[in-house]
Amino acid sequence: MIRFYRVSKQFGAFDALRDVNFQVSKGEFVYITGPSGAGKSTMLKMVYGAVRPSHGKILINGTDITRMRASGLPSLRRSMGIVFQDFKLIPTRSIGENVGLALEVIGASRDTIRRRVDAVLSIVGLRGRADELPHTLSGGEQQRVSVARAIVNDPSLLLADEPTGNLDGAMAIEVMEILQTINLRGTTVLVATHDGGLMQRFPYRTLRFRAGRLESS
Amino acid sequence: MSQGPQTYVHIFRRALRSLWENVYLNLVSMGVIAAAVLLMGVYLTFQYNLTQLMNSWDRDVQVSAYFHADVPEDRRESLAARIGEDPRVARVAYVSEAEAGAWLAERVDDLAPVLEELGSDLLPASLEITLAQTDNVERDIAELKPLLDPADFAEVDHGREWVDRFEAFVEAVRVLGGAMGLMILVAALFLVTNTVYLVIYNRRDELEIQKLVGATQSYIVAPFLLEGFAHGLAGGVAALLALKALHVLLIGRLESALGAEALTSVSALPAQWLLGLAVLAVVLGVGAASVAVTRFLATAP
Repeated sequence: MIRFYRVSKQFGAFDALRDVNFQVSKGEFVYITGPSGAGKSTMLKMVYGAVRPSHGKILINGTDITRMRASGLPSLRRSMGIVFQDFKLIPTRSIGENVGLALEVIGASRDTIRRRVDAVLSIVGLRGRADELPHTLSGGEQQRVSVARAIVNDPSLLLADEPTGNLDGAMAIEVMEILQTINLRGTTVLVATHDGGLMQRFPYRTLRFRAGRLESS
Repeated sequence: MSQGPQTYVHIFRRALRSLWENVYLNLVSMGVIAAAVLLMGVYLTFQYNLTQLMNSWDRDVQVSAYFHADVPEDRRESLAARIGEDPRVARVAYVSEAEAGAWLAERVDDLAPVLEELGSDLLPASLEITLAQTDNVERDIAELKPLLDPADFAEVDHGREWVDRFEAFVEAVRVLGGAMGLMILVAALFLVTNTVYLVIYNRRDELEIQKLVGATQSYIVAPFLLEGFAHGLAGGVAALLALKALHVLLIGRLESALGAEALTSVSALPAQWLLGLAVLAVVLGVGAASVAVTRFLATAP
């Protein structure tokens, strides 16, 4: 599914990642952890093509994305869903419109969008709230909208960058349970987090980074 | 799922929505385009009428050839007949000293006693030669010259010196106006580009999210180009309406103030020119949007 082969990334004189090698199989749930500045987010950004490595190869489903042209990125991103710590919801769009955005960009009909949005809002426990604006929701609910948007086009890979970073304990557990459910439906899930408590409560394979190096896998 | 007609529906809806949500910035953009195109239209109307005026002079060129007083009457008539047969000449009218004097007396009624005292041969007899339609007035006048022998004619006046000076003035206006028009267009492009950039900047988070969920570059860019088209179209139509209103109001006022009937001959621009101005407005709108969105995407994360 995902393979990093001797991947390094320098930002000027700073080594964000150094000679990173690992592999994630289809259907796995994997944590990427480590202290701030360890390279977790950089690694995730490389998976969705927002950052290109300075050296090495990244294979996603057998395709070397380091050789991919910018015009190829949209199709790569349509095969994955991304959840951010700050939710990245459009404040002036309703919840339904925010979730439907991922389907809109691929030219889905309005009927399909409505049907799929209702379905994923049910999965994340927000059924019937499609017409509300994001600011009317709690932080946990907004993150669930973000998860709904990430899974609305049924991706094979879900990336979550500190998805519980802005949430309190109960809300964080709710979001993790949703991610776990999505994984049980066959989606590969990569979660960048430094929340040790959650990793203990939901134990999965962990890639531990420190100062840009993969310490343990 | 492949991109199909629904994609265009989504793009169109996004453009409409953005026009509505950023109504003030959009109005600024349309206003700038309208002002630039209106200025161009006023200049072109001025230029068009000057050119029309010059063309009418070229179409109706009259040469006055004044006889020496001692040229006998029969010689004058034979010269008039010979010149009238020339293919470059549309018609020739012989004006005797008496007819010229009567013409003058009619126009300066107050001086009638003075003119009477000076005698009926105050003004020389002349041939008033009207040239046929031509594409080269200068050449025709030059070719006609051998027929106007200085032994018969004291002076030949065709008023071309004045026309030539006026043509030089019109040419200078054309060059200066063209340069100013170009500057106006560049300034408008700059202003509209920055206004559209503000609209895009307002929506930067949305655009970033679109990119992250797999929107193609064309999907992101297209709504802004549609908005630019709408700005241009609305600005262009507004400019043309304003141009029409200016034409009606200004000509009416000048006529009543100056009582100048000649002003009724100030024409509005022909339909093709107006269409050209509308196209220019649309090109300005789409061009500015294109520059703005390209600039934004080049710097966006």
